[in-house]
Amino acid sequence: MKTLKLIFLLSITWLTGCSFSPSNINTDASVSTEDRLPENPLAEKAITSSINPAKGTMSTLYGNQTAYAYAGANRDKQYPKGSILFEVTWKQKADSLWFGANIPREIFSVERVFFPEKGKPVYELYIGNPLRKKAEPVQSVKRLAFILSENMAPSP
Amino acid sequence: MKKIGFILLILLACFTVAQFFGPDPENISGEKSHSRSKLLTNVPDHVENILRNSCFDCHSSQPDLSWFDRITPANYLVASHIREGREALDFSKWDSLPTPQQNAKLYYALNKVLAGEMPLPSYTLLHRDAELTTEEIRTLKTYINSLTPRKYAERETKTMENKPPEMLPPGKKDTGIAPSPNGINYVPGYRDWKVISTTDRFDNGSMRIIYANDIAVEAIRSGHTNPWPDGSIFAKTAWKQQPVKDGVVRTGDFIQVEFMIKDSRKYRDTKGWGWARWRGDNLAPYGENKNFAEECITCHRPVENSDYVFTTPLNPAIFTKPE
Ligand code: HEC
Ligand code: HEC
Repeated sequence: MKTLKLIFLLSITWLTGCSFSPSNINTDASVSTEDRLPENPLAEKAITSSINPAKGTMSTLYGNQTAYAYAGANRDKQYPKGSILFEVTWKQKADSLWFGANIPREIFSVERVFFPEKGKPVYELYIGNPLRKKAEPVQSVKRLAFILSENMAPSP
Repeated sequence: MKKIGFILLILLACFTVAQFFGPDPENISGEKSHSRSKLLTNVPDHVENILRNSCFDCHSSQPDLSWFDRITPANYLVASHIREGREALDFSKWDSLPTPQQNAKLYYALNKVLAGEMPLPSYTLLHRDAELTTEEIRTLKTYINSLTPRKYAERETKTMENKPPEMLPPGKKDTGIAPSPNGINYVPGYRDWKVISTTDRFDNGSMRIIYANDIAVEAIRSGHTNPWPDGSIFAKTAWKQQPVKDGVVRTGDFIQVEFMIKDSRKYRDTKGWGWARWRGDNLAPYGENKNFAEECITCHRPVENSDYVFTTPLNPAIFTKPE
């Protein structure tokens, strides 16, 4: 009889939700200690985002404080020295909670654009799992032009 | 013993008499239509038939009920299902809806099926054949998906001024923006928060960035997101998808910003969250009256076990991969 009572009490506790649900974080789509990046782009501020449906990817353009502040007030892309932009690109997956949406699955690449004291902006590509710097990225000119074509997403 | 027999007899009599008085669930609004006529003119028959078989009993003027649905007291329950069901979604009014609304309704309907909320489980208990088969769900998915293909533009459609619009600075008290009908004030400065996800909503041609304030970000970092701590705020901004050259889709016009503000005591009546939405460039507050949040909660209900939050957040801090 005692065990029965115990089982009964236990199941009530379980049913009433005293159980602890673990947090649900999209870690695959985040930066981990195994990635080799000079900064953590996800800790920066978002300027805008874009989607490439044919490639099944989605990207967010982040900027450090200097770049973000500049993008918020200008569209001429003459980013001041010290600005850093990060174009973070994720492979997409279907949202299991909403049929009709795609969300980030895992980071595909991080492109970093640094504006030095003198000279042209420096483009770097980090790719792979874990993320590693790519020695001589092809298409760097085209990619740099694309990143510099992105404007702050409008909001009042 | 005789007494029990007598009571049973009385009950049977009551039951029989009641049959003449209960509501006729098939004729709730007095517009009973016996014909199985087509209701969804632009929807192919094989798709309409799936909806007819599983949903029309409660969501149209053409219910096709079983004999046991008509027995009192069952008919009271059935009638109330139909009344509430048709209030929420009425396929009889389908043809009068504009296409984007039809598409949104279909996506919403399918998501309620996938979440296991529809058809009502109390109904499928007795109406086994109303439950959708895997095959039927696949048919619906394929059809609904085909309604919203992405269209590519060759050139950028909008000419941009050289300066982006000015944003309200964070923490500004007097924003000049009207509060939400439930009394919640606009929250300026959310664009400076951390991004916890982006969504590509091909169902309605929009794209979103979801932001979290510092309290919510700290909850993610320390792994305490269910429930989210009081003080957590999410902001979700939606833009129109603007296809440009090379197959890339960019953020187009601003549509709206929505907030969920956690305060388990203050917002006890709305699942612990303060819900608010401002639409358009002039940030017009959304909602007819202070109960508008019921609409938000109803759609967020499938994720009630995750504290009503859909988003599985990114970790804006670098995390240590478990070995
Ligand atoms: C037995 C009756 C019944 C059947 C069958 C039924 N529903 Fe419902 N449905 C309801 C009721 C009652 C409501 C309103 C209350 C609620 O949301 O639970 C509703 C609400 C809804 C809503 C709107 C939720 C809201 O309030 O915003 C959608 C969408 C929906 N149903 C879709 C479907 C689909 C799709 C099917 C068929 C696959 C279906 N229903 C079958 C009774 C039914
Ligand atoms: C038709 C369904 C639907 C309705 C109605 C709805 N939401 Fe959501 N909401 C979603 C989905 C799906 C997401 C997940 C992100 C995405 O796909 O855009 C979401 C996400 C959110 C988020 C980001 C946090 C999270 O839960 O992921 C906020 C904030 C939010 N909604 C606020 C609101 C408010 C405020 C209302 C009412 C004014 C509302 N929503 C009504 C479907 C809905």
